[in-house]
Amino acid sequence: MTKTFAQLGFPGRLIAVEGLDGSGKSTQIYLLKRWLEQSGLKVFFSEWNSSELVKSATSKAKKRELLSPTTFSLIHATDFADRYERQLVPLLRAGYLVLCDRYIFTAFARDTVRGCPPSWVRGIYNFAALPDLTFFFRADLEVSLNRILEGRPQLKYFEAGMDLHLSTDPYESFRIFQGRILEQYLAMGPEFNFMVIDANEPIEVQQNVVRELILNRIDLAAFERGRPATTSR
Amino acid sequence: MSKSMSRSKPTQRGGRRKPFSFPRIVVPQHRPRRFYGHGIPGVDPQKLRGKLIVVEGCDGSGRSTQIQMLMEWLESSGHATTQTGLKRSTLVSEELNMAQNGNILSHTTMSLFYATDFADQLENVIFPGLRAGRMVLADRYIYTLIARDLARGSDLEWLQNLYGIALVPDAVFYLDVSPEERLQRNFAKDYALDYWESGMDLGLSREMFDSFLKYQAMVERQFQKLHKTYGFNIVDGNRSPEEVCKELQRRTAAVLAGE
Repeated sequence: MTKTFAQLGFPGRLIAVEGLDGSGKSTQIYLLKRWLEQSGLKVFFSEWNSSELVKSATSKAKKRELLSPTTFSLIHATDFADRYERQLVPLLRAGYLVLCDRYIFTAFARDTVRGCPPSWVRGIYNFAALPDLTFFFRADLEVSLNRILEGRPQLKYFEAGMDLHLSTDPYESFRIFQGRILEQYLAMGPEFNFMVIDANEPIEVQQNVVRELILNRIDLAAFERGRPATTSR
Repeated sequence: MSKSMSRSKPTQRGGRRKPFSFPRIVVPQHRPRRFYGHGIPGVDPQKLRGKLIVVEGCDGSGRSTQIQMLMEWLESSGHATTQTGLKRSTLVSEELNMAQNGNILSHTTMSLFYATDFADQLENVIFPGLRAGRMVLADRYIYTLIARDLARGSDLEWLQNLYGIALVPDAVFYLDVSPEERLQRNFAKDYALDYWESGMDLGLSREMFDSFLKYQAMVERQFQKLHKTYGFNIVDGNRSPEEVCKELQRRTAAVLAGE
């Protein structure tokens, strides 16, 4: 689909954050969520790979290293579809601000790096509407690598891209893998109107930019609790 | 060579007992292979030397019986055989069952769950079998998955992209059985109708019997449409299992001979 929820006439709005592991995007979306909630707005937060049912299959598969690029892609698409159909769409119909920590672009980037044909991956996700706003947190590759590598030295198999056999050293593999994902993100940014945030800046500076952009783009008053959903913008 | 073995030779040669004989085993002829779409990254279809034979048909069409019989015939004719089917992957079949019992998945999710299961079987059962030169017998394939989803309103183009990972089989036998006959066979087996096989999730009718008939007719219509695209080998399944099996054997033999 090439339309946003607003363009499709939904009363709700979807805001997505994307970026590499360690880019600080989860911190930023958390702070955003706190602000919106405390302003008395209807907010819902959804994370990539978190549907209860599908998660049990995914975590089992990841532990046993059972996934190929194709099944990796499909199982994440299943997870996304479950959340999309059961939570995101109904809440957006009900006039919520939906915050997504990662959206379809994560799949576009990762699955393509894993060797799945881009048109196949995009075709699978074309049941999903585009976010109304997508923030891309761009940190220098070294900065995000260091954040991950110093905090959590034990890298998981798929997280490090070990299935791609880029290197037998998990750290080296992770570096190459993340570098390739970054290339994919940068290539699709203009096409999907990513709002690029400089993730090398202090947390507060970034959050100011994020809140400012949202204030300018979304009429927040329409999302106050207790207000009925309206289909107009 | 051991003494006892060398001693047994003259008796066989000189005796009246004939040695066991067998008809020469047909060595399957290689034919160019392709995927329906992009296929699977890194998989060369030409290295999949065995034959992929699919048996399709609505619920109650006698598929499982025919596959069993076909497999016995293939093995006794000297062909190593592997069976595969839907909802058999170690990856997600357990969760798929849970989801179906709880009846909580929406259509796209269910579709993708089945596609994941299919892809897992494709990569871990079908491809290794074919690479090793085995006959792979599939109890249903992407056509059932596509027909079911189409009956639930999915987009054909979306499904064809999704299942572009699938290998084009060497033969697809579609067991054509009248709905009344299938209904009777279903009852004769379980004395009950299955929730999903009756399409109860579609809300066609509150009564399971009516819903079964309506749903199965819908799926059948989708199969007829798919036949135009994919060109199934239609087999009249209203006959006795032995007669049906004879025909399947004849047609499978033709596939092996590369016809």
